[in-house]
Amino acid sequence: MQKKIKNIVVTCAFVIFLALFAGLCVTRYFRPAEISESERRPLAQFPENITWAGIIDKTVINGFEDYSVDQFPFREWFRALKANFQLKVLCLNENNGLAVKNDYIAKVEQDFTPELLEYSIGRLQYVYEKFLKENGGNKYVALIPDKNYFFAKDYGYPSPDYEKLAEQVKNALNGMEYIDLFGELELTDYYRTDTHWSQDKIGAVADKLAQAMGAADRINSEYTENTLYPFKGVYYGQSALLPKPDTIVYLTNEILDSCTVYDYETGQTGKIYDFEKFEGNDGYDFFLSGTKALLRIDNPNATTDKELVIFRDSFGSSLSPLLVEGYKSVYLVDIRYVVPDLLDRFIDFENKDVLFLYSALILNSKSFK
Amino acid sequence: MPFRCKNLVLLIASLFFYFYGEPIYTVLMLVTILSSYLHGLLIDKFRGTVWSKVFLWTSVITSIGALGFFKYSDFFIKNVNSLFKTEFALLGLALPIGISFYTFQTLSYTIDVYRGDAKVQKSPIRLATYVALFPQLIAGPIVRYTTVEEELSSRTHSFENFSYGVTRFVIGLSKKVLIADTLGALARTLHGMEEATVAAYWFYAVAVSLQLYFDFSGYSDMAIGLGRIFGFHFLENFNYPFISKSIAEFWRRWHMSLGTWFRDYVYIPLGGNRVSKWRWLFNTLVVWFLTGFWHGADWTFIIWGLFFAMFLMLEKFALNKFFARIPRVFSHIYVIIAILISFVIFSADGLSGAVADLGAMFGADGIPFWSGETAYYLGGYAVVLLVAIFGATPLVKMIVSKAKETRIGSVVCNILEPVFVIVMLLIVTAYFVDGSFSPFLYFRF
Repeated sequence: MQKKIKNIVVTCAFVIFLALFAGLCVTRYFRPAEISESERRPLAQFPENITWAGIIDKTVINGFEDYSVDQFPFREWFRALKANFQLKVLCLNENNGLAVKNDYIAKVEQDFTPELLEYSIGRLQYVYEKFLKENGGNKYVALIPDKNYFFAKDYGYPSPDYEKLAEQVKNALNGMEYIDLFGELELTDYYRTDTHWSQDKIGAVADKLAQAMGAADRINSEYTENTLYPFKGVYYGQSALLPKPDTIVYLTNEILDSCTVYDYETGQTGKIYDFEKFEGNDGYDFFLSGTKALLRIDNPNATTDKELVIFRDSFGSSLSPLLVEGYKSVYLVDIRYVVPDLLDRFIDFENKDVLFLYSALILNSKSFK
Repeated sequence: MPFRCKNLVLLIASLFFYFYGEPIYTVLMLVTILSSYLHGLLIDKFRGTVWSKVFLWTSVITSIGALGFFKYSDFFIKNVNSLFKTEFALLGLALPIGISFYTFQTLSYTIDVYRGDAKVQKSPIRLATYVALFPQLIAGPIVRYTTVEEELSSRTHSFENFSYGVTRFVIGLSKKVLIADTLGALARTLHGMEEATVAAYWFYAVAVSLQLYFDFSGYSDMAIGLGRIFGFHFLENFNYPFISKSIAEFWRRWHMSLGTWFRDYVYIPLGGNRVSKWRWLFNTLVVWFLTGFWHGADWTFIIWGLFFAMFLMLEKFALNKFFARIPRVFSHIYVIIAILISFVIFSADGLSGAVADLGAMFGADGIPFWSGETAYYLGGYAVVLLVAIFGATPLVKMIVSKAKETRIGSVVCNILEPVFVIVMLLIVTAYFVDGSFSPFLYFRF
């Protein structure tokens, strides 16, 4: 009797499961989602232009499969279920390449890609040779260890050879003074759900850079801490674990409040912190309005005429405000978005301090290509 | 639904299923079905005359010809080019999904009709339903016509069959998605490690062997389960092969439908083992050459098949007597090592790849035995490996059977089964939604 009931329950459960999801899929067809906010990407839509040729060459079928996966009912819930099952039941080290320990999420990288490093460092070398080698002024280079370096060290995950990378950077840019930042950081200086560091935790990094560049005496380093919540970093959605969002702590004082930021691309002048961007896809764009090819921060209260040019990636967006007090102007150049050959049209490098500030994460990416 | 409509609906669904994955080659499958149908009728019509045999041979040649053309053309062209320094262009044909499986099914039909083991099927719908039946169409098991002959004309449905089918299907899907694909990721990682170690290569062998088992047996479970849902009783295809104590036993437990197919349609017609020693050696080599070649158009598969032939010969003439005198655990260890090596050959990228992989397993080029990276990956996959090893033995089945013998155990099992089915369905759905699914390995055969 029990077995009979069990058979009926299994049968009904399976049929209801199929019917429920078939029904939800039909509903979803009429109201498809446009984007996945958590993954920061557009979702596949039902294939358009269904033609016989498309069916035969499988483009329609492949498009339908992408659509059905992306538009699956309760997709986020299922992604969370899978991530939890992988990490907590199967006890795998990572899910979709991301590892989680004590709420910190990091991308597990086994090795750097030599070709990518060579290319990225080559681009920096090119800028140095073209604009800086023959110029006066001080030249510095600093490598930012990304979150994975500390995560791997703290939790026994594999990690690439950062010391070797630092040597490679030093050798390639041997005309610049290398500033070692590895000792100034630890895992807790980074956001839990994002790749970036938190501005309130990088005072030591800013101090070390200012000291090395001779600007420390001009920087007061007294700030008021302000917060923005919730900040869902890039790993927040990728991990699918629905972790607790981060809080952005940003620093202000009278000097920073009075600074203006000139965007060479748009010709517009703004402020260091962009509250509108915090509400966008990537809350970290709050710092200096995110990805920008060429910016200039002007400090009207500067006690010096010295100017600084920082060649940087997004890590520089939150750090550069902490150096601005020591300079009249700070130029921020992202050579991933501007052709380096054009730079001397906008910046006269003569007698300016120059800092190359790049994270290992970005040097080992395709973003320079 | 009237019985006549059942087969028609199942046939249309099966053809749509195949068309979804292989639009163009659906025509090839329909032609194969038509050829088998007509040959079956002709063999039966001319029974007792020489024409019956002629039609049997034309049926075999047609089926094997199509399989050979689509699966082996480029292999032969490559070998001819390399042997005679010619430059014939490769055809570059895509392999029709499941062609090896449905070709063997249609062959079993016409041969069985010729032998009088099966009645000729006069309904083209029924024969087409048998060949195209979607649960087992693309990756087996190779269902013999005689197995489902009666159920094509009359089959019953019940909650018991449906429930069994659903549970079996979900178990198979879980084996594939949760275990086989995870082990596949481990195997790829270990094989691709920049600094190889001996231990990593042995664990690669374990991972790849278990991956193949859970992948293929998972598909067979799904096929058997779906078949049961639709009222068919397919034969088992796997019976815990890793507990075998000889290679002969292993092949009685691994891909049983293929083993019995070659036994009944190749080995026994060649004379089987009731022949002279030399003739038996020849028969064995032929069967295992074909078994390897059936799996793929590459020398690695042929070597893989002949590797088993070698062990079968050794067992017959020496090893069986030797292992009978020592504790059984040693015969088990021998089988496991032989199987691991065989699946490394099976999974290798060409013959040179196989030599390199086997060399690494035995420390060639002085590679280290162990490394921190090896430890990291093994630690990370330890739970999955243990589950897979445990799941490859009959222990779970024995525990459940034992539990069901008691009243409380039976009640608990009856409550847990529907819960298990739903939970596993949700988890595998989550894997599909997150895009973590990879195609079944046996699709390519």
